[in-house]
Amino acid sequence: MISSNKTEADHTERDLVARCRRGEMVAFEELYRRHSGRLYNVVYRMTGSAADAEDLLQDVFLQVYRRIDSYRGEAALGTWLYRLAVNTCLDHLRSRQGHQRKVTDFIEDIEGLEPVASPSWRPDRALDRMDLEWAIAKLPPSYRSAFVLHDVEGHEHHEVAEMLGIAEGTSKSLLHKARIRLRAFLRGERTEGDRRPSAAALGTPATSRLGEQ
Amino acid sequence: METRRPTTTACEFVAPFLDDLIDDGLDQAARQQLDTHLAGCESCRRLADDLREIRRQSSALPPHAPRPEVWTRIAKQLAAEAPIRPRTFWTGTRVVLAMAAVMLLSVVTSFVILRGPQPATQSADAGRTSPSVHASAATTVKDVDEHLRVADANYQQAISGLEKIVAADQAVLDPAVAATLQKNIGIIDQAIRESRDAIASQPTSQLAQTSLFDALRQKVAVLEDTIALINVMRKGDQAGAAKIIGGLRKS
Repeated sequence: MISSNKTEADHTERDLVARCRRGEMVAFEELYRRHSGRLYNVVYRMTGSAADAEDLLQDVFLQVYRRIDSYRGEAALGTWLYRLAVNTCLDHLRSRQGHQRKVTDFIEDIEGLEPVASPSWRPDRALDRMDLEWAIAKLPPSYRSAFVLHDVEGHEHHEVAEMLGIAEGTSKSLLHKARIRLRAFLRGERTEGDRRPSAAALGTPATSRLGEQ
Repeated sequence: METRRPTTTACEFVAPFLDDLIDDGLDQAARQQLDTHLAGCESCRRLADDLREIRRQSSALPPHAPRPEVWTRIAKQLAAEAPIRPRTFWTGTRVVLAMAAVMLLSVVTSFVILRGPQPATQSADAGRTSPSVHASAATTVKDVDEHLRVADANYQQAISGLEKIVAADQAVLDPAVAATLQKNIGIIDQAIRESRDAIASQPTSQLAQTSLFDALRQKVAVLEDTIALINVMRKGDQAGAAKIIGGLRKS
């Protein structure tokens, strides 16, 4: 039954893509309606700013419309869209080259609270959601992309790897480093990478612009 | 303070497997080995508990949603880039309406069939039913457009009335608050304009219609809040004013 539903969904998606290729705006609107919510969540947490996230979401869907012919259907449409969205975010973050500034923007974006200088999460205290959002925004982009897709959005490693155009092992490694770094941020600890972000953390050639189909 | 690191060879061996443990990616034998180590190592146990809590809270973070006007901006941009392609009339709301009309037609037809042969005069009447149903389907489509137009007009009328009240009494507002309100209304007006442009180029776009009515609702809400603020300011109710201003900043 699940397989039958999946086949039906795949067929519907293929049909939707075909209609988008023919330039049917109604189909493109449907595609937006189906995927914009989840993509927005990823873009929002990647950029840490609602205003930037909306601009980037717009940019992503304009790219989708213009590049829909290049989608060959080898990956699921959702995977292709995620990859486009994450790459757009990484390009944006790199162009700004102001990671610390983004953290500040993000904190101001969340209900006008002042930035949390240094959370001091301890095992006997519940983890504060605001502190967690702050810490995610503070992660290096490559760590953040793997973390958001896996732990926040709930994708499996093989899916994250496909979305980011990296090996599954790299996805696991990025996630592990992200979790360890988050723990350090949340406990108010400083790590070596916190003081001096490495080129790898900010985006190596392998992950700075993740593979495209 | 540096991050607490595993302190023994066993800890270093275990660390990479903690993620698999948290993500339920270990077989039973490996899990037992890891559990044995964690039972005797407080440092690794705390690390595992913390990572598990981070995972749990991260998966429970609330979702965010883009504002409806994001779609209208996309539609506007695409409309400006390329000539509008011929669009299919029978889409979205119209399909639903057409289906409803077909169902209505089926019911009427069934009714006619079930009634069986009727006197000539009545058959002639039944024969005339069909065209009238077709006519009503077209009428219904027009009705929806008309309803949208009427709703839009009603909003405009309400907004116009509220704007007159605000214009007459806004002198009691603090200039900084008045400027903020004006700025917010300017942003909403821009969203209304963009939504109307999107509807003009894509009349069947439900997202564009949603965006328009969302923006109109926002404008009504801001104007209503402004009037409420004017009223409490006149009464000298500072606490009430602060509460309303707080709400305005969140909206």
